[in-house]
Amino acid sequence: MKDLVEYIAKSIVNEPDAVNIEEETNDEGITLKLTVADDDKGRIIGKQGQIAQAMRTLLRVKAAKAQTRVRLEIM
Amino acid sequence: MEIPEEQSEIYETAKGILEKLLELMDLPATVTLSEEFTSIDEEGNTTSIGLNIEGEDLGILIGRRGQTMVSLQHIVRLIMTHHTEERLPIVLDVEGYKQRRCDGLRVLAMRLAEQVNTRKMPFAMEPMTPFERRVIHLALADHPDVMTESTGVGDSRKVVITPKKIPHY
Repeated sequence: MKDLVEYIAKSIVNEPDAVNIEEETNDEGITLKLTVADDDKGRIIGKQGQIAQAMRTLLRVKAAKAQTRVRLEIM
Repeated sequence: MEIPEEQSEIYETAKGILEKLLELMDLPATVTLSEEFTSIDEEGNTTSIGLNIEGEDLGILIGRRGQTMVSLQHIVRLIMTHHTEERLPIVLDVEGYKQRRCDGLRVLAMRLAEQVNTRKMPFAMEPMTPFERRVIHLALADHPDVMTESTGVGDSRKVVITPKKIPHY
């Protein structure tokens, strides 16, 4: 799950080196915690959260195929 | 159909980004040029690039009313704008889903136009995506008897077909 978010995030921010993702697995599924440079936060979230929402949609497809659930948190 | 040389690099870039995303999503699929959604103007410049995704069991990639496909398209466009100066619309399709939907919408538009013209009453269609509304507007742009406009905001925005001549009583 992590690599998908990492590729998207690094491709749309100005400071790709500041992109960090932590992946945690528990009973409810996988939680991804995404951190980016402060100036890049808007680029990751988007107008009305559109970009974050689109990333979650793509993650859901991958999670469904892997028969798990995934949460994306932007820190 | 061939993409002019000046724009072939954009096509290859978009195709590469999409293939990378599909690979990361564990979806084995192939990406080809969609002739339906690639347009070239009179001067030979590409005005939009269409990419069709083909593979097995891709319903999951289309999503409810094509919403997942829209998300994927959004991400591809974002990555593109971050990497190239050129602003060319990239249009994604999955297994020709959007193409069939567009064909269906055009047929529906013509039928509704007839109806509106006969009854001399405006007709409001179901809410649709911006792309779908555009298809309707374009399909009826040159219609002699009816005109179209979009009303409503956000997800409930829809096309209303109105007769051009309202009878006077």
